[in-house]
Amino acid sequence: MNRILSDALSFGRQYIRTKVGAFFTFIFPLLLIMLFGAVFSGGDGGGISLHVQNMDDGPYSVALMDALNSTGYFEIHLIDRSSDIQEYISENSLSIAAFIPSNFTASILIDTHIDVILYLDHSKSSSQIAAGVFQAVIAQMNYDLSGSESIIGFATQNPGSDELTPYDFFLPGFVGLTVMITAMYFMTSMCAEYRSRGYFKLLATTGLKKSDWLVSKFLFNSVLLIASLLVTFAVAMLVFDLNAVLTPLSLILVIGGAFLFTSLGMLLGTIVKDPESGSAISNAIGFPMMFLSGSFWDLDSMPEYMQMISKAMPLTYLNDGLRDTMIFGNETSALVNLAIIVLMGMVFFVLASRLMSWKEK
Amino acid sequence: MGYRFEFSNLIGEWDALWSITRGRQVHMSDSVIDVRGLCKRYPPNITAVDDISFSIERGRIYSILGPNGAGKTTTVEILEGLRVPTSGEVTVLGSDALRNYGHIRKKVGVLPQNFEPFDLLTPFEAVKYWSDLFDIPKTRIDIDRLLDEVGLSDRKKVMSKKLSGGEKRKLGIALSMVNDPELLFLDEPTTGLDPKARRDLWELIEKAKKRGATIVLTTHYLDEVEKLADDVAIMFNGKILVSGSPGELVSRYGSKTSIVLRGVGSAGMRELSCRGISSTEKNGDVTVSVSNPSELRAMFAKLSSIPIDIEEIYTRRDTLEDVFLNLVGAKMDEGVLQK
Ligand SMILES: Nc1ncnc2c1ncn2[C@@H]1O[C@H](COP(=O)(O)OP(=O)(O)O)[C@@H](O)[C@H]1O
Ligand SMILES: [Mg+2]
Repeated sequence: MNRILSDALSFGRQYIRTKVGAFFTFIFPLLLIMLFGAVFSGGDGGGISLHVQNMDDGPYSVALMDALNSTGYFEIHLIDRSSDIQEYISENSLSIAAFIPSNFTASILIDTHIDVILYLDHSKSSSQIAAGVFQAVIAQMNYDLSGSESIIGFATQNPGSDELTPYDFFLPGFVGLTVMITAMYFMTSMCAEYRSRGYFKLLATTGLKKSDWLVSKFLFNSVLLIASLLVTFAVAMLVFDLNAVLTPLSLILVIGGAFLFTSLGMLLGTIVKDPESGSAISNAIGFPMMFLSGSFWDLDSMPEYMQMISKAMPLTYLNDGLRDTMIFGNETSALVNLAIIVLMGMVFFVLASRLMSWKEK
Repeated sequence: MGYRFEFSNLIGEWDALWSITRGRQVHMSDSVIDVRGLCKRYPPNITAVDDISFSIERGRIYSILGPNGAGKTTTVEILEGLRVPTSGEVTVLGSDALRNYGHIRKKVGVLPQNFEPFDLLTPFEAVKYWSDLFDIPKTRIDIDRLLDEVGLSDRKKVMSKKLSGGEKRKLGIALSMVNDPELLFLDEPTTGLDPKARRDLWELIEKAKKRGATIVLTTHYLDEVEKLADDVAIMFNGKILVSGSPGELVSRYGSKTSIVLRGVGSAGMRELSCRGISSTEKNGDVTVSVSNPSELRAMFAKLSSIPIDIEEIYTRRDTLEDVFLNLVGAKMDEGVLQK
């Protein structure tokens, strides 16, 4: 234990002195979140497709669609009035669609409650976010109409109790991404550096176990990433109107992610020989993971086979778990994701400690 | 203090016993390293170490001398438990080094070739870190004293990347000595350093020997071997050509003593051959070898009486350099053989 702590402390000392590391752990996620925030508040592109069948001819249905459109989160597509919406949904495999009844404007005009029907595939977390955003738009409209009373409702179960914004959706994604980049990229490039500078050989002469070295890096990354999470969250709270919550489980998930990606980084590090191949190999694994694990956008808007691939990406489970606990309050699902992360992490840990060689062949 | 039972001791003794029953000789007391028939091949067809055998006695500085690519690093890294040989038997500190290096590791110190310190740790921090990795209790190590011993006491708070080449090497030696090793491996400790730094390191190595450590030193500097080594093995193309003390090698493989007539040129050489004395000439200097020391005085008188202009006349004993030249057929400069 003394060895592990001393190794982690020495390493932390060197890390602080590099300054570049701090950029990637603290500044980079903030820059990314700002950038994406700007893109989404700009209102063009991104988001998910919302198919709407509008049977109403009055101004309020148009106002509702405008409001949905202006979130920038939804891209509105109109469903032809003649089609059967249920059939349409299954034909197009939509996870979300809305139905505005023909008496929508009329009901609002006489202050009578009217429901918009939201067809939701509850098994997909993205549709729940969409529901959250949808609900936020309706709440805003209700407020504009009457001050407090809710005239417009929607006929599906409310997944979350608070209004969710795109930032809420993206924050956990950024946290997951930061965990991956910090732990994995860092570890792989460190293995490359340690090998090319002869540090591994040096460490081998001390009798330090490879698993101890890995545990030390995991401890270090955990501390670093928890700090990074706290900073990112605090800044996001100040800058955005945030409803996501920092739960204890989200901290545990970050630690689990640190375990998984530190181990994976070292596993990749077993085959790298020099810094160039180090960054090549972590990019080869990291880039697909970045885009196919739902860090930036919704996996459900992607083709089926891509979604299959995403199931094989460890980062998917971290992103899902973080969203489960931070925005949906679904701790059970988060725990399942945590279990998957820990299991994958253990496999990588064992493989990395076994396959890594500090000696020369 | 009573006898402390240690599992590793048991393994060590068992291992020694095992070796004896298999008919292998183990000199637990006087020989620290025993190598038999060691071979190391790298793919596709490089034979870096080609069937070498030697043993190293306790408390001595054993030098492996050879040009770049001779197989020195491969050999010592096998002895350090850092590389796996293709075949052969290696006993280090009484244990089979190929099977259980784990429990001898604590008694061994290593300075790898081209040692690089951790750039962003100070020497003090690095030594502290290293002593923790070796699990050495705080009461058993005096970091300040160790740094003082290697001559880094006034540099111990400086970031390692700012140290000079010589200071980095000194830090490497400090790290290799945190566990007060019985056996110290120094792989080309002075390569690329300026003369002052080299002398500092030589002093350091002699100090380590005085503390009782056995030292394995690889080098391509002949003066280093002459200054430090008790025993030397000349290695070339993966083979040990000869070994013994430097003095022994000089008397066995040198052409004994010679008399040099400076500046007499080929004219002088002709004069000598008229009198039946064979000689060699190089850069105007003519050298006459004397194979039997008893003839030296007579030959010296004979040469002095020859009527030619002599700038200077002196006797010269062969050095290790001549031995190397005789055996390998080329001189060596910074580890590179000269054509
Ligand atoms: N890891 C390796 N893979 C392949 N060839 C190697 C390796 N290490 C050394 N060699 C080769 O083995 C020979 C001996 O190298 P080395 O032991 O480093 O010699 P020295 O230390 O005397 O310079 C050289 O020809 C070198 O190129
Ligand atoms: Mg070498």
